Amino acid sequence: MAARGSCPGCGSTALVEDAHYAQQQLVCAACGCVLSEGLLTTTYAEEEHLREVAYSQSTGQKEQLSRCLQRGIRRVQDLCKVLQLPTVFEETAVSYFQRALQHPSFHLVSLEKKELLGGCCIFVTCRQHNWPLTMGTICSLLYVKQELFASVYLSLQKELGLSVPALSLGDLVKTHLNSFQLFQHAANVPAPFVEDKEKMVARTMQIVELASETWLVTGRHPIPIVTAAAFLSWQSLQPAARLTCTFARFCKLAGVDLPPPAHLRLKELLEILLRMASQLAWLRVFNMDKKTVVKHIGDLLQHRIFLLKNAFCLEDEEEQHAMTPGEGSPGSPPAAGGAAQEEGCPSEGKRQHEGRPRPLLPPCLINPRKRLRTAAPSASDSAITGDEPISDSEIEQYLRGPEEIRAFRKAKAWP
Amino acid sequence: FKDDLSTSPQLFTPMSPYDVDLPIQTTEDVLFGSQFNQPKELPTDFSSVDLSFLPDITQDSKEENLSEAGHDMQKEFDGSISSRNEDSSIFVDESSLSYPDATRPSPEASGVCPPLTPMTPMTPVTPASESSGIVPQLQNIVSTVNLACKLDLKNIALHARNAEYNPKRFAAVIMRIREPRTTALIFSSGKMVCTGAKSEEQSRLAARKYARVVQKLGFPAKFLDFKIQNMVGSCDVRFPIRLEGLVLTHQQFSSYEPELFPGLIYRMVKPRIVLLIFVSGKVVLTGAKERSEIYEAFENIYPILKGFKKAS
Repeated sequence: MAARGSCPGCGSTALVEDAHYAQQQLVCAACGCVLSEGLLTTTYAEEEHLREVAYSQSTGQKEQLSRCLQRGIRRVQDLCKVLQLPTVFEETAVSYFQRALQHPSFHLVSLEKKELLGGCCIFVTCRQHNWPLTMGTICSLLYVKQELFASVYLSLQKELGLSVPALSLGDLVKTHLNSFQLFQHAANVPAPFVEDKEKMVARTMQIVELASETWLVTGRHPIPIVTAAAFLSWQSLQPAARLTCTFARFCKLAGVDLPPPAHLRLKELLEILLRMASQLAWLRVFNMDKKTVVKHIGDLLQHRIFLLKNAFCLEDEEEQHAMTPGEGSPGSPPAAGGAAQEEGCPSEGKRQHEGRPRPLLPPCLINPRKRLRTAAPSASDSAITGDEPISDSEIEQYLRGPEEIRAFRKAKAWP
Repeated sequence: FKDDLSTSPQLFTPMSPYDVDLPIQTTEDVLFGSQFNQPKELPTDFSSVDLSFLPDITQDSKEENLSEAGHDMQKEFDGSISSRNEDSSIFVDESSLSYPDATRPSPEASGVCPPLTPMTPMTPVTPASESSGIVPQLQNIVSTVNLACKLDLKNIALHARNAEYNPKRFAAVIMRIREPRTTALIFSSGKMVCTGAKSEEQSRLAARKYARVVQKLGFPAKFLDFKIQNMVGSCDVRFPIRLEGLVLTHQQFSSYEPELFPGLIYRMVKPRIVLLIFVSGKVVLTGAKERSEIYEAFENIYPILKGFKKAS
């Protein structure tokens, strides 16, 4: 068996590993010079290169872990490096992963799911440190469908009893905007489209906060809202040049995906802004529409607290209006309570002018989808005891007659 | 065939010997009468009867009373109570009294009125907090029953109009009946799952009808171990809920992932119910084995939700 290296005595490269009794020796085949003997080598016999053998390799620590676990840990570490996460995250994620794999419900799942599990552990770690990583990102890195990821994530959360804090919207805005490519001059981006990052982040945050206050965020996927808010804020910072740019074009220039719900979010945001604009004194003279309101987003955001109070009735007023029909004409607001909000609520007269200032409710309550309401259990239903007699005729209606069976047998060639 | 209640997870339903609708059997109308006419083996476990309306009665003393009473008189048994009561524990909880429509076979019908039989349900006594005034409506009941005979599924699918059987897709016959509107999965081992009923009694009636169909098809089907496995209810609190706030204050119970699902998943510990809470104020409660668990869970969550009503 030929070994590498050259003999120090004659310079020949014909080195042979031989054994003198039980002792291993490295001998030159040409001159017989013994280069080394009694070598205690590991499986990685690279003594001549004097490469140090890692502790984990020499003590067989790695061999104690199953190959599947080793591969999984390596994958977790690689993903953390791709996402540029701090080292602490990597260690936490690896420890979660090891714990999870030992758990009986994950021990025997498919390899695909085990890799998913690694991604879930990273996701949980990031959320626990308020690092705004979305599921969409992890899913695209793992090449998995979101439904599968969701099921593994939920079972991981349940089995390990992990408490995962909610996604911080503010951090998400910053992270998501980082991926927009509008902050530097580039070949495909016209000059007036380039924007200052700080200004855009600040304004997008404000619009997202506004959306959150007006029930547009609860229960919805956060990314489309952030994308729509980014578009509005970008347009409003230089409306003259940018009003003609469509949402789709904006996303293409910025290099981000346009998620399908984003159009609806944009519509909802514009509706909110239009209602607010109707309360701003110097804007009332104009006929605002979806395009023109964008120019005034800055002002609207500045006075948003006041405008929200005025533009939307809180539900209490609605109830009080309904409950005090006899109190004064519709034109005057009810005098009950005397809370500050009451003065803000527009009177009935105003309502006819611009349509009712609607209560501040989630969109699913404003536009309820018509659904078949199951009737409440009738009296006859509730009288059922479960032990009533069952008539034969009722059962016989479910059985096939002999001719029917014959016909079926012929048609389907029933075995 | 009395199961040992302490060890067997499946409750021995005392009505089962009379429940089997064999052709020679008398109709169910006589069931309760027959119990009094021929005193056969009466189950000696009376702990499923609710005696909490008796004053100054604790759990231990109730058990004593029951065992005494058992020797003295025949008791009328409501099959539906036993089927609901899985762990043969007495309802001490007051909320268990709030069965709005728990109809039970009235003792008067058979002419015997044992004083210890539970009367029509009373309103729950909750002196400290005001109740919400909203009653969750049951939407779905899942129950299982053992027909205790091997079944030929191909045969059933051929002879029954309301059956579908696709062995490549699923190894059971899917059968449907119109009244009560339910669906059943019937397996070749003789086990059956019945879904879609709106109340426990309806589920039982439907399961019996399926068993009857199987009987008429020629199989010696019985009706053993009927058990309610899951109950789903829903209701509307009528105000929008800030789910982000709720997940912050009740982090250890809630899971709110808008990227995955628009509702908040609240895992209540006592009673062990999972609630799906949506921004519109609609609440879905599931995982209950008894109706009382759903009501109790809703009464527990309502004050929590109300706390988020005025969040600006």
